[in-house]
Amino acid sequence: MLSRKPKAITFLVYLVIPILLYVFVVFFPLLTSLFYSLFEWKGGPNKTFIGSANYTQLIHDSVFWSAFRNNLYLVFLCLIGQVGIAFIFVMIINTRYIKLKGMHRTFGFFPSTIAAVSIGFIWTMIYDSRRGLLNWFLEKIGRADLQQVWLNNSKLVMTLVSIPLIWQYIGYYMIIMLSATAAIDTEILESADLDGANAFQTAVHVVLPMIKSTIMVCIVLCVSGNMKAFDNIYVMTKGGPGNASMVMAMYGYKISFEQQNMGYGSAISVGIFVLGIAVIGAMQLLQRAVSKEEVI
Amino acid sequence: MKRSSKIMSVLLSALMASGILTACSSGSTTTTTAAATTTAAATTTAAETTTAAETTKAEETTKAAETTKAAETTKADDTSSSGTLNYTGEITLMHFSTSEESQGNGGSDGFRTVIAQWEKDHPDIKLNQTVLANDDYKTQIATQAAAGDLPDVFLLQGMNTKAWAAQGLIMDMTDIIKSSPYYSEYNQNYFTPFTDNDKLYGLPALTGGTCTVVVYDKNAWKEAGYDAFPTSWDDVKTADEYFKSNGYKETMAFGNGGQWQINSDFLSVIGDRYTGSDWFQSLVDKTGAAFTDDEFVKALTFTKDIFASGIFNDDFNTVTNEDAREYYISGESPAFIGGNWDVSYIGATLKESNEDLYNNTGFAVLPQPSDATGSTNTQNIGLGYAVSLNSKLADDQDKQAAAVDFAEYVTGPEFSNYVATNYALSGLTKVENVDLSAFDQFTQDFYNYSYVDTDTCEIYDSYVSSAVWSVLNTDLQTMLNGDMTPEDVAKAAQEAYTANY
Repeated sequence: MLSRKPKAITFLVYLVIPILLYVFVVFFPLLTSLFYSLFEWKGGPNKTFIGSANYTQLIHDSVFWSAFRNNLYLVFLCLIGQVGIAFIFVMIINTRYIKLKGMHRTFGFFPSTIAAVSIGFIWTMIYDSRRGLLNWFLEKIGRADLQQVWLNNSKLVMTLVSIPLIWQYIGYYMIIMLSATAAIDTEILESADLDGANAFQTAVHVVLPMIKSTIMVCIVLCVSGNMKAFDNIYVMTKGGPGNASMVMAMYGYKISFEQQNMGYGSAISVGIFVLGIAVIGAMQLLQRAVSKEEVI
Repeated sequence: MKRSSKIMSVLLSALMASGILTACSSGSTTTTTAAATTTAAATTTAAETTTAAETTKAEETTKAAETTKAAETTKADDTSSSGTLNYTGEITLMHFSTSEESQGNGGSDGFRTVIAQWEKDHPDIKLNQTVLANDDYKTQIATQAAAGDLPDVFLLQGMNTKAWAAQGLIMDMTDIIKSSPYYSEYNQNYFTPFTDNDKLYGLPALTGGTCTVVVYDKNAWKEAGYDAFPTSWDDVKTADEYFKSNGYKETMAFGNGGQWQINSDFLSVIGDRYTGSDWFQSLVDKTGAAFTDDEFVKALTFTKDIFASGIFNDDFNTVTNEDAREYYISGESPAFIGGNWDVSYIGATLKESNEDLYNNTGFAVLPQPSDATGSTNTQNIGLGYAVSLNSKLADDQDKQAAAVDFAEYVTGPEFSNYVATNYALSGLTKVENVDLSAFDQFTQDFYNYSYVDTDTCEIYDSYVSSAVWSVLNTDLQTMLNGDMTPEDVAKAAQEAYTANY
């Protein structure tokens, strides 16, 4: 239908609206944060310029770095949990033994539509030490000795708050990957079947290479999503006990609004931005290295 | 096949939509509960309201006559003191007495009632109200303060007074308050959190409520051998053995999941028992006291030890006060430590579900630690918020006069009389001869606990700075888990204090 390419000006006019919107909601706040982070600003009209002092403080702030470690741990768990399990589910749904594929898809996607706050409450109830499902289950299987106040265990708490996040987003990545696998020519899968490849071999040697670029998109989405994790952890533990489940975004919120230290809070959000970019950059380098190896 | 999948998809989308709706509704419940948690205003319940109304109905006729008379005098006073208001136009007001909250909260109900009355009396002035749940309110007002964009009239939290006064955001109301027609009736103690260098920055609002009270089951403790709640912690520990072997899960229920509870509902009083009130005053005035002082570290050590002793519920660090009070209501614990907001909830719930326990619930101050040397009968009570004015109002004298008139009215005798007669609560102005006989034992006992039988001490987080309390509260939670020493907690708090106050 398109007999000739639209003029450059047409492109520009259509692009200008989303770009302006993007500049307004992303770049503008980022630049103002950068500006405010150079001040001591405890709210109100008075600000004192202190140069890079907030950043010096940030580098020495042990809570911020432990929050960063918690974010990395969360990313690690979610990569395995969300993207990994989603891939397994996709492979299972795609086998011919599964009936009602549409239903599986829809119900799998359900948790992603629930508000994170509600998810936080649901899982707080599951972990509850007296009336919770988990301790009840342990008692039923005769392992009452394993019962504990789950969310008060500072060593386990990061894992425990990740589980709801994993549970919530498996369906989301499942849908993305299902659409990618749908594009694979069925003849390829059939010939793999005829060649005697089992399900595992088909998954790793046929499907995985063919949806590689989609998986990379999933990984980037997963990393960036979990670098800014906030809501369900806030509901479940508020970062506690102490700072054991503190993540960077929550720490920035706590400093800015609970402690009303807007200047330092801005420095933290710039820190989150820089570290987020760095982690995603590192992931992409890793991916490039991996794909190069495969080519060789 | 096609049709069935169509039906399926319609069904599923309906399910999904309902899922989203449920999510929304539970989300909004969250906000309200959160608000209830943090509101330091006194609360009474819906159930109580109605009965209180019923019981007072007989007197209402006489009282109503009195109130109208009082109102008339008030108005006459108004006219003579500030003249008729010349301002016509809009006044912006922000507060957190939402209609949901006023459903059982005496302070909120009273505040909304007097606001409506003032609005009715001044038809030329449009009150533009923004009403948010307490948690949202605190975030919103802090953000507006940061942007230098406060509403004309709003509620100021004690701990923000000094910072916002230094920024020039709030109006110095010293002369306004001293020339208020109700000045002689004000309870002067309530002004301290809103004072900076002898200047007053607000009229304390809503109702005075305790932040620390032991709610206990009189019968259970009698069976354990205590006619009244023990005054020493050693007795509580002895009683613990009895209770544990008699089917109770713990002796004291407490919830510190939000991290602020251990400060507001415990340490603020225990600290006073160790350090005395001069220490805290010195901390507020910056005249030498430090968190690292021996007596305060002792209070921290005691707090750590008593929570490690096993008399509390083992999940105290993860459940909130809303969860912990259910342990008392359900009879799993014979006692609970909380604030006035918990008492009103417990009262309302028990009245419906367990009248026996309702009639046998008593109130006591925290027992005294054995090595503490301060006063023994203290509890922390105060008015956490004050009606404050934007300093920009000074540019428009007529508008300022209207805002002042509003502030004086909603914190004046009209409000105090309303909450005293309907809820047995007390506001900024003193009410003589509150007739308690109209209320049941539970309400009477709590009135006496709050205003008559006990000595008062300060609520820590009505003062100093949120930055200090945020650091201290987080570390306290770690300390109660045994992962931090009292000395380190004190040191970190002191660092935050020097850096932020």
